Amino acid sequence: MTITLTVNGVPYTRDAAENKTLLHFLREDLGLTGTKEGCGMGECGACTVFLNGRTVNSCCVLAVEADGASIETIEGEAGPAGLSEIQKAFDRNHAVQCGFCTPGMILSVKELLKAKPKPTVAEIKEAIEGNFCRCTGYEQIVEAVLDVTGQGTGKGRLDHV
Amino acid sequence: MVHEFQYRAPSSRPELLALLQEHGTSAKVLAGGTDLLPNIRMGIAKPAYVVDCKRLPEADRLVFSPSEGLRIGHGVTISAILRDRTVRERFPLLAEAAHELASHQVRNRATVAGNVVNASPCSDMALPLLCLDAEAVLASVSGERTVSFREFFTGPKATVMKPGEFLAEIRVPAAAADRKGRYAKLKRVKGHDLGIVGVLLASAPDGLRAAVSSAAPTPVLVSGIDASLDAQAVDALVQKAIKPIDDVRCTAEYRRYMVGAFIRRLLPEVNR
Amino acid sequence: MFDQVRPEDLAFVGKDSGRIDATEKLTGEALYVSDMTVPGMLHAAVKRSPHARARILRIDTSKAAALPGVRAVVTGAELDYRLGLYVVDKYILAKGEVRHYGEAVAAVAAETYAQARRAADAIIVEYEPLPPVLHHMDALKTDAPLVHPDLGSYDHIAAVFTPKPGTNIANHTRLRKGDTEKGFAESEWVVEREYSCPSVQHVPMETHVAIAKWARGDQVEIWTSAQSPFTVRNLFCHAFKLPHNNVRVHIPYVGGGFGGKAGIGVEPLAAVLSRAAGGKAVKFQATREEEFSLLPCRSALTYRIKTGVGADGKIKAQEMTMYWDSGAYADYAVNVTRASGYSAAGPYEIPAASIDAYTIYTNKPFGTAYRGFGHVEFHWGLERHMELVAKAIGMDPLEFRRRNALRPGSITLTGEKITDHTGDVVKCMNAAAEAVGYGTLSPEEAERERRTGRKIGKGVAALHKAPAMPSFTATAVVIKMNEDGSVTVNLALTDYGQGTYTSIRQIVAERLGFPLEKVKISFECDTDKDPYDWQTVASKGLLLSGNAAILAAEDLLANAYEVAAQVLRANVRDLDHDGTRIFLRHNPDESVEFAKIAVGYAYPNGNGIGGPILGVGRYVAQGLSNLNKETGQGNPALDWTYGAHGIVAEVDPETGEYEVLKIASVFDVGRAINPQIVRGQSIGGMVQGLGTAVCEGYIYDDKGILLNPSFTDNKIPTAKDIPEVIESAVVETPQIDGPYGARGVGEHSMISVAAALGNAIQDATGAEIVHMPLRFEDVWRALREKTPIDNWITKSPLGSCRSAPELRNRKKDG
Repeated sequence: MTITLTVNGVPYTRDAAENKTLLHFLREDLGLTGTKEGCGMGECGACTVFLNGRTVNSCCVLAVEADGASIETIEGEAGPAGLSEIQKAFDRNHAVQCGFCTPGMILSVKELLKAKPKPTVAEIKEAIEGNFCRCTGYEQIVEAVLDVTGQGTGKGRLDHV
Repeated sequence: MVHEFQYRAPSSRPELLALLQEHGTSAKVLAGGTDLLPNIRMGIAKPAYVVDCKRLPEADRLVFSPSEGLRIGHGVTISAILRDRTVRERFPLLAEAAHELASHQVRNRATVAGNVVNASPCSDMALPLLCLDAEAVLASVSGERTVSFREFFTGPKATVMKPGEFLAEIRVPAAAADRKGRYAKLKRVKGHDLGIVGVLLASAPDGLRAAVSSAAPTPVLVSGIDASLDAQAVDALVQKAIKPIDDVRCTAEYRRYMVGAFIRRLLPEVNR
Repeated sequence: MFDQVRPEDLAFVGKDSGRIDATEKLTGEALYVSDMTVPGMLHAAVKRSPHARARILRIDTSKAAALPGVRAVVTGAELDYRLGLYVVDKYILAKGEVRHYGEAVAAVAAETYAQARRAADAIIVEYEPLPPVLHHMDALKTDAPLVHPDLGSYDHIAAVFTPKPGTNIANHTRLRKGDTEKGFAESEWVVEREYSCPSVQHVPMETHVAIAKWARGDQVEIWTSAQSPFTVRNLFCHAFKLPHNNVRVHIPYVGGGFGGKAGIGVEPLAAVLSRAAGGKAVKFQATREEEFSLLPCRSALTYRIKTGVGADGKIKAQEMTMYWDSGAYADYAVNVTRASGYSAAGPYEIPAASIDAYTIYTNKPFGTAYRGFGHVEFHWGLERHMELVAKAIGMDPLEFRRRNALRPGSITLTGEKITDHTGDVVKCMNAAAEAVGYGTLSPEEAERERRTGRKIGKGVAALHKAPAMPSFTATAVVIKMNEDGSVTVNLALTDYGQGTYTSIRQIVAERLGFPLEKVKISFECDTDKDPYDWQTVASKGLLLSGNAAILAAEDLLANAYEVAAQVLRANVRDLDHDGTRIFLRHNPDESVEFAKIAVGYAYPNGNGIGGPILGVGRYVAQGLSNLNKETGQGNPALDWTYGAHGIVAEVDPETGEYEVLKIASVFDVGRAINPQIVRGQSIGGMVQGLGTAVCEGYIYDDKGILLNPSFTDNKIPTAKDIPEVIESAVVETPQIDGPYGARGVGEHSMISVAAALGNAIQDATGAEIVHMPLRFEDVWRALREKTPIDNWITKSPLGSCRSAPELRNRKKDG
């Protein structure tokens, strides 16, 4: 069926198969491959996007459900001036390793910060619990969020004995 | 996805009910999709028609009035429950269970109605609904009927709902407002996980109530417990009502033990 | 490498530097194979076995082949190619017999994935189910079914591995040092215990995926999410008997590996489908479920240790027997067995030792490399054992460890002498212990115990590991100067998140004396364009490729100086440079810019000299030897990285629920080239270690069906699962032959985490746990001395983890 939606502010009208997930629509039909598939079951959060202002696992949404919707993906995060503040903080704090979870992770952080500009560590961890990261052990991601919200105690330290 | 189906997004309840009537068991209602779509992906569900109920104007209705109680529309998400001030203040049991359900992204999409229609023994939302005397409003082309959640669940993934029926709304009576209680859920990780076993202990006019998940083919409610009983006696009553099994998540033995442990842990808090 | 530079004289090494791959990953622009398409590309799906062991009677593909969009269908019958890194035992698609649940028996390529999936489902396979052998201890019984009846005919690397035809033993590694009989006789105490752990999944966030195009003239091009481009090419060419220069392997960004992508994976399957489809490119991407059972896992282990201790608390003799569950194929598991065998005693000196390590075939998904390469598993046993032995003899476990630790002058199991630049494990243990306040509870902790009714316990566990690799493992780095005087570095070591490239960039900039911005490490690996590297495994990348990078930088400078010397009419010995220009030391105004000579210098009259400047660095591991197959003596270790973890755990003594309050990890890294990257490796591995310690593991039913191949029932740690306090520290005992003194640490962070947790839980409650993971129920059972649950193989028809005790008591050299 034909659907019309905006993605990162750009309007699109496309035919979408009724059984196609929003995730596959974004990746295959719009070429927005920043949104990743980690499980296809709504467990890992690699496919996190904003749907009408709230984060969802796009593997558990049909493209046709998004008819008329406004979608934001990782491709919309950096502006013409460069990386967003969240992205810069991730960079400064080494909150990226293989990078496969990173797009979803950043969008989950973004949703958190809309509601809570100064989240506690517990709130940060809860906001990203749906985003699996197998590389970093999360600590440097939490530090990046503290940093971007002005609560950073500086980068995590590697002590020398 | 591999399985093909036709998508329908009716914009009114009669239209939706007509579709369900026409297609019977070959139609599946799509609410949050967080259970249905993975099930289709895995081949567990193979509907010919997927009927999206979210475009009905009343889908997201979440209202409280002293006369009608709390009305939870079929499209109300778990997140909406958590955001709603009235729910948080007057129905804290709902908010506490909602908070324990899955991850942020899933809560943004999953619905209360979907969670109970799915009828998993580990349903988070079933426990407060049982403790709050909630009812399911089931609609079909032949009309509406109201079923108490005490009668709603009939087995794992099974309910009293008939083909063509639609869970249009959940109603929590005003009399159940302000009921206090506590929820404990055993998980394998601190992050999002299904409940390995869960206990909600709440006080009600007829005494103490214990609702237990993942310890029987359906969520279990034990009501009318004498509030002066000690934890051991409460546990003894609950143990009679549950029938846990061994599975990959846990043994029946530990499930039974943890039900007792949670009762010991929660009872002083509920009695306080 | 080779020379020691004081930290204050270093411009980039030892200092923070941003990751070179951050921007493209943060914006979603980094392209992974799963994101890639090739014109005309087809999609693949596989038909997999529902049985753990069965004879394939008939495969009917006719219905599948006729479905819309289908371009190729292949079965094992038409593919006579076997794969194997060390023992060549695996067909691309099962042939004759399936050997594990989830094994691929047929495959389809079609225009869309959905078409391929439908066609694969339409393939009819008739099986005759056979009784499987599921537990590795059962597989040793004389009447056990043979997983590979033809083992004797398989090619294998005979200098290193010893398969036992007529049994399920894919390899037996044997080591003998000193006189154990005498040692036990002289011992005051002898303690013998057994430890075990199940198979686990790596869980890279990007599942295995490859695109292959088998073009005319047998020219094969592969894009793959893998760790080791040259090993993919090498094994591919061996299997298909193709010249190496026919095959080109590309590796772009990779979404995690952890050893699961170390060797060859799904590439041959995509390639044979491409060939069958007339040369169209074919993409195969494993689903998450396939990742659990089509692709390999980490081997299960049963580890039996018998230790004799003298009155002074020094170990006199130790007998170690490892039973590794290889699953259906040997893959890396035989080498896990070898590497674990020669490291089996941990960072301790054992004067008399005997080791028998067996790799055992079973009818389960096969084991492969996984971060730590066996050391996570056996350190679980060993470091729990050290704790239990110490408690048995009435000594503090940390003191027992210190007393037996390897020190300069100690002789390792294989006869290597530890020197004062090998590393300092005692310092690591002490630092970890101090960080968690080992041995006491702080007033706050004591108050917390009173308040919560929970018990707080502390545990320390030490670790060591050397790279497990061929004795002559080699690599090369090429640095090419660009027209503007900047450089581009090519190497086939891959960076799939570890951050090695960022560290190599610092090393290159340091040795070139160039600013960081002038050094680019090229991200996509390409076997046609990059110089050779063996594999990205074993925590050897920084040392070997770092050294090669230094040599390449020196070579590049030498080549540049040679041209500059001509231009400046000077002796090269009189030249120096500042990153932009080469000048005369005694007359700095006489200079030539790198940019002027980068691609050939032109005199004013047009005459040219020089040509493009580049540098080549080649490095091979030195002085290593194969181990004697009878005694295990020899020199297997490029370097040893030591470390220790300290854990504070809080346990509910009633229910067994617990929480890790704090962890402190300390490693002797020689030199931290990039402290934040070291820290990222330290924490990332630690949390991965906690996952396998707390809840991860394969659970099978009694027919060998994997019951938890998904995130629903195979949980991994989330952000909420990490300890409240995480501390990382390094000791820096320079590695003489490491780049700027550095040694590897990528895997070590995962090792011994589980044991430290087990020790802390025991300290808190007395619960004696010898099987991991430590689920709450396991702790609860241990607290009540109930029979542990053993659902890693549920009610196996041939027994369970505690079966076959007679085998454990038999003579070991049989």
